[in-house]
Amino acid sequence: MRTGPSWTEITEGFADLRALLAFRQQGLAPAQRKRLRIAGLVLAGLTLVVIVAPAYVRTALPARSTGHLVGVLPSFYLGFAVLAVLGAVTSGGGRELVPREQAVAFPVSAVTEHFGALLLAPLNIAWLLQAWAILGTTGWVLGPTNLAGSVLPIIVWIVIATALGQLVGWIVEGVRRGVHGILVTRMLAVGAVAGLATLVLTGRFAPLLDRSPTVRLYLAALDARVGAWGAWALAVLELLVLAGFLVAAGMLPARWALARPQREELRLEGEHHEAVPNPRSDLIAMIRIDRASIWRSVPLRRGVLVLALMPGAVALAGNLHWSLVTILPGLVASGGALLFGVNAWCLDGRGALWRESLPAAPGIAYAAKVVVLLEVLLAAGGGTILLASFRAGVPTGAELASVLAATVVVALQVTAAALRWSVRSPYAVDLRSARATPAPPVVMAGYSARLAVGTTTTGLLFSATALAPNGAIAVLVAIPFVCWSTYRLLRTGRDWADPVVRSRVVAVVAS
Amino acid sequence: MWDEGLARIEVSALRVRFGAVEAVRGIDVTAYGGRGTALLGRNGAGKSTTMRVLAGVIPPTEGKVIVDGIDVRLDPLAAKRATGYCPDVGGLVPRATPWEHLQLAARLRRLSGWELRAQDLLERFDLGGASHRVTGGFSHGMGRRFSVVLAAFHEPGVLLLDEPFDGVDPLGVEATQHVIAEAKARGAAVLVSTHLRDLAIEACEDALVLRGGTAVAALDAATLGGEAGARAYRALLD
Repeated sequence: MRTGPSWTEITEGFADLRALLAFRQQGLAPAQRKRLRIAGLVLAGLTLVVIVAPAYVRTALPARSTGHLVGVLPSFYLGFAVLAVLGAVTSGGGRELVPREQAVAFPVSAVTEHFGALLLAPLNIAWLLQAWAILGTTGWVLGPTNLAGSVLPIIVWIVIATALGQLVGWIVEGVRRGVHGILVTRMLAVGAVAGLATLVLTGRFAPLLDRSPTVRLYLAALDARVGAWGAWALAVLELLVLAGFLVAAGMLPARWALARPQREELRLEGEHHEAVPNPRSDLIAMIRIDRASIWRSVPLRRGVLVLALMPGAVALAGNLHWSLVTILPGLVASGGALLFGVNAWCLDGRGALWRESLPAAPGIAYAAKVVVLLEVLLAAGGGTILLASFRAGVPTGAELASVLAATVVVALQVTAAALRWSVRSPYAVDLRSARATPAPPVVMAGYSARLAVGTTTTGLLFSATALAPNGAIAVLVAIPFVCWSTYRLLRTGRDWADPVVRSRVVAVVAS
Repeated sequence: MWDEGLARIEVSALRVRFGAVEAVRGIDVTAYGGRGTALLGRNGAGKSTTMRVLAGVIPPTEGKVIVDGIDVRLDPLAAKRATGYCPDVGGLVPRATPWEHLQLAARLRRLSGWELRAQDLLERFDLGGASHRVTGGFSHGMGRRFSVVLAAFHEPGVLLLDEPFDGVDPLGVEATQHVIAEAKARGAAVLVSTHLRDLAIEACEDALVLRGGTAVAALDAATLGGEAGARAYRALLD
């Protein structure tokens, strides 16, 4: 018998959350726990630096730059909320603290799921970078005077945006699980994109941003700087009440959504696929199975589509110049690898043991994983560039060469890193649920940070080559990257050829 | 058709270690063509690990493992060609259909004109209607039955069935027993790991009881039948 929401449910939800966190922690080796503690301290330290440092370097910058930032700051705040909403919507209501197949024996309530998803939201490099960006920019604009007071409303806003994202995420997930849910959510997505495109093309996008309610956030931060503590306290109180309300409100759609059947997942599991002609080579046979594993998985299919469209849509809305488009393939490639590439053999799931018992050279199975990951990254990156190209104008030779080189280089770079991690640290996951990830949340956060740093640096390098007089520079810069990534791929391939390594990977992913 | 009576599996002093854990501690196994050998024992006795070594999925840490005259350490690909393996867990790629599994197996095992045999096996295991459905939606029993189909598909000289009867309905059990009988009639060696003693006795002529990673008894499977056999088997487990 279902009961209505109650205070007990909330307190039990917190207690269950603690138990699940302890369960997760027990699964870590002592060295991993130590690394986790260090990573936590580093993140806290970095956050502090990101808040404080810009406030003090501000004086060295021209006032005009600061003025520009004041104008766009409310849009940055709004952008963070949009990102939080998109993150929760695309991950089917947020990430799972414990994968469904492991949690099946425990009565994990929807409230616990909701709190868990909220807790895991920051373990995402896009969330972290955006949060750091708005905190740092606020400090930069307002300076060191009463900095803690200036930043506090923004910190509460980060909580609000995350809770709002979770609330919307659960609602969309609940709708998606309805009878015609897929159709409705697709229509909503198309409507949102069409609406955004209309606003951009009719020139009403920027004026709309100027009227964003987040202007009040900036004013609250400014109140602290000028010492208007009464207004500041009132604004912070309002924000805190809103945060509490949104966190609590998220429990209702969470209960509703999680009680509904997972129609899309069930439909895919019951789907028939007519036979295609027999494969012409061993590699094609392997690739076919891996492709099927990607396109018939709800989180992977959705993730690839979002990756192909979302950064391109942002580029389209932001009217990005070609020299900045070079950064996008890196973001897309990192996101693509985080869908399944960092644990590539999880595509085989429990079939890994059978597949390993087939008479095929280890290099063929390895090459198949490399090919499918590369093609996903290149296709998603290509889609992004295509969308970005609509408003970026006609590229020069150097710009075109730089964008193409950046796409190829980051795809190889990310594939090499992802395959290395796949062989070193496999995990047993089924990637069935829309909320599933290929590795535990903390591990995913580490992977995403490393990928983001590597690919953004590479993207910035090609931003510089885009300003060169011709495209040859970009090609020359790309060559050592391609060689290094190829070497890394071959080295991992050699590791995979070792039967001891291979048996460990297949035994783990099939368990 | 192979020669009946030849030793198709020869395992001597097999040891398998996973880090600090030694899963198999010096097992000797001999299985003959045309005969079934039951691997019996409690959980963790080393049955599945031994099967995985024979299938070429796990390399032996120590010892000699010869499958159909092929040393699995020296020529693992040839050993994999000679064996058909039904793993104890899952064994199916969750988002591929049975037909896609069969296409992959046929390609890698260099089979031609395999479609009729595949259809026949699928029908016998009552999976004909599900041959183009993704296996992720299969029930446990359906998955087990299809794993047996995959193992027997290429008519291997060595058939390795790890828990083939687990959660399978009586008709599925019957079909599996039929496949085992056919394999033995062809002269193949069949190794069956199961906790279901009666089915093991029905399928196999020989039995090897494992305990704690070592073999504690090699006997005629028939001697494990009846009340006396049950008591003897129970005594071997402790």
